[in-house]
Amino acid sequence: MARYLRRRLAHSLLTLLGVSVLVFVILRVMPGDPAKMLLPEGAPESAVEELDRQLGLHRPLPVQYLIFVRDVFQGDFGQSFQYKAPALQVVLERVPATVDLTIAAMVLIVAAGGPIGILAAVRPGTRYEYGGMVFAVLGQSLPNFWLGIMLILLFGVALRWLPTSGFEGWRFLILPSVTLAAYPTALVARLTSSSMLDVLGTDYIRTARSKGLANLIVILRHALKNAVIPVLTVVGLQIGALLSGAVVTESVFAWPGVGKLIVDAIFSRDFPVVQTVLTLSAATFVGINFLVDVLYTLIDPRIRYA
Amino acid sequence: MRKSQPNVRRVSRRRFLARGGLVLGGALGLRIFPTASYGATQRSGRIVAAVSERMLVLDPADHYSISATSVLRHIFDPLIDVTNDHKFTPALAESWEAINNSTWRFTLRKGVTFHDGTPFNADSVLYTLRRVRDNTKLIKAFVYQDLDAIEKDGEYGVTVTTKRPFGSLPAHLTMLGMLPPGAAGREDSFFQRPVGTGPFQFAGWTRGEVVNLAANPHYWKSGIPRVARVSFRFIPELSTRAAGLRSGEFHVIDRVPPDMAQTLKASPGVKVQSLLGLEVQQWLFQLAKAPNDNLQLRKAISLGIDRSAIIKDLLLSTARPAVCPIPPGLIGHVNLGVKPYDPEKAKALLRDAGYQGQPLEFVLMKDLYPKQLEIAQAVESMLRDVGVRFEIRNLEIATARQLRSAGKYDMFFSGWAHLPHDPDWYFGQWFTKAGAVGLSRYYNPKVEQLIAEARLPDPRIRAQRYEELQRILWTEEEPTIWPYYSQAIYGVRDTVRGYEARADYYVLLSDVSVS
Repeated sequence: MARYLRRRLAHSLLTLLGVSVLVFVILRVMPGDPAKMLLPEGAPESAVEELDRQLGLHRPLPVQYLIFVRDVFQGDFGQSFQYKAPALQVVLERVPATVDLTIAAMVLIVAAGGPIGILAAVRPGTRYEYGGMVFAVLGQSLPNFWLGIMLILLFGVALRWLPTSGFEGWRFLILPSVTLAAYPTALVARLTSSSMLDVLGTDYIRTARSKGLANLIVILRHALKNAVIPVLTVVGLQIGALLSGAVVTESVFAWPGVGKLIVDAIFSRDFPVVQTVLTLSAATFVGINFLVDVLYTLIDPRIRYA
Repeated sequence: MRKSQPNVRRVSRRRFLARGGLVLGGALGLRIFPTASYGATQRSGRIVAAVSERMLVLDPADHYSISATSVLRHIFDPLIDVTNDHKFTPALAESWEAINNSTWRFTLRKGVTFHDGTPFNADSVLYTLRRVRDNTKLIKAFVYQDLDAIEKDGEYGVTVTTKRPFGSLPAHLTMLGMLPPGAAGREDSFFQRPVGTGPFQFAGWTRGEVVNLAANPHYWKSGIPRVARVSFRFIPELSTRAAGLRSGEFHVIDRVPPDMAQTLKASPGVKVQSLLGLEVQQWLFQLAKAPNDNLQLRKAISLGIDRSAIIKDLLLSTARPAVCPIPPGLIGHVNLGVKPYDPEKAKALLRDAGYQGQPLEFVLMKDLYPKQLEIAQAVESMLRDVGVRFEIRNLEIATARQLRSAGKYDMFFSGWAHLPHDPDWYFGQWFTKAGAVGLSRYYNPKVEQLIAEARLPDPRIRAQRYEELQRILWTEEEPTIWPYYSQAIYGVRDTVRGYEARADYYVLLSDVSVS
């Protein structure tokens, strides 16, 4: 088992190394000079060269990479070019907002998507089913930015019930999380509904009903338990997507999350910030995969002795 | 037989999930609730401005951002201020004079203190100017490389000698806040919580999102500031800025494009304030490349563009046709006449130019200027009618700039805001050999000579040289098309008193109150 784990650890480290090289090289072969993005247009070439030197961009690429790796092992991800602050600090400052938004959206997805899907499945041919499916189609087809702006105009400008943007309290979380959750909620509702429909037609459900169990118990205790498995897989995948894919929602609601930070950093060629976000996310994914592998070996003896 | 259970409390799955949910909810709540009181505070005496560009640093010497200049102008005072009609007025310098062509003397204001109680004097000016000259990592350093000796002349006097005449030095100094000399050697920590002499003290920020300021009760200008607190929010998304203004969350927003101005005018409680800005649009030709090196072709292109149609139909009359490269009000502005629209003459010139119909590339920096894509499409269509083929390339900013440096474009959509309220910087970068090498490749020794002479401190000489060099650019060479000057448009709540729309696109709130 120790050999297996050593091998997995080596794989993980190689993956991280590969990601870091890839990110490093892609950023530097993209057209556009960071110094030119920092200086005003038409700044003299001598100023651009001097700033390149100050940012360490005049060195050969392999040397820059080795310096980057050396510093990362010391916990230093470099200074952000535009924020003039440690890149790690700039990124970590944004994490709480992203986590809050993700959690709030997840709560909505599960709390709304599940029940809508169940209702649509157990009441086929009624307004519940049609309503649920209209919601699913709308939720999956309305563009995020349009929905966000419409919600702002309705609840922020016309009714004035909720703030239009910002990050100062729980009321500020409502509109962005609804916007962000719309698509995955619709997806979960549709999946739950079709999965429930499959399960409701099976023999064991018929048996449960013939035993005289109450309908609610049949649905919640017997049917849902099996129907929820494919839904959970999708919900799990959505967490990753929400953490990284909230760029549009973050822009519309001026939400200080990581998604917008990295997009801005790419556009302004702020290499240290992009490298920090990508290295940290790669490390998280690789780390989780490694832990899962370790868990497998504990659970499944076939892997342990392979 | 059941195995005996070890002495561990079993937690059922259901209970685990319920507790997990509580912990999750709790974590979410704890992160959110402590700050909830801030959002709930009442607004009287507080102005919230939402500006379009993110402010990323708190160091007045380390940016050329309009929003950072706006915000930092509240924390730091410059030596010299500039009014909306481009007059330079005393701030921390009570007076200044050019002793000769390369020496300036500044007499400083007495009795001013920094927010931490340190007195403002010549040491502050020495530290600030020497720092921006010597620390080449600072973004503004390149402008101040012409400074030579910076010497104290008594407790409240400073003499600056320059390596060559620097007539625009007072203009540049309007953008440089004065720092306390005590910041030397600890700049990193100082700029986490900066201290200036300005009307507001720094109260806190979320990097790139919001800056909070509190009134400086000991400000040297009596009666200023007029509100207790000011917050600047940084919101690049226009619809979000506009929604916040309409809902009453923001008092002032900047960079309102023409069609949004119409929407805001129709919104209750909101007014739109605008005036001609410091920005001139400029569409650069790549002069080192055929066929753009042909003057006849450039003149034909200029004649084929109907500027007034663009201004009226696309910009909804929020711009004015240019009459020379320098916008009205600035030193050197002169009326050289609006460029005519004459498609027939354009066609005739095109025949003389020997243009073979090869497609020309019109490069745009994506989403940088209001309506730029529609304008470029209109230009493309107008020029197609006279027989010039243009292909529009709407590229991400860094990529577009890279193409421009490499000279791989024919016409480049750009603009220039004369932020120091002076054209020296513009001509020095865009129309000298050293500056234009990465831009349009323009070079004319006569114009270069005039640009150098226009750096003399004497305003009469400067105005005369600028007029002469603009005649060459505007009527003889046409290396660039300057189609129009843009307006600076702001949205303001009607509860705001004393707000002045600024030509330099700043949002200045020291003299503003809310009812």
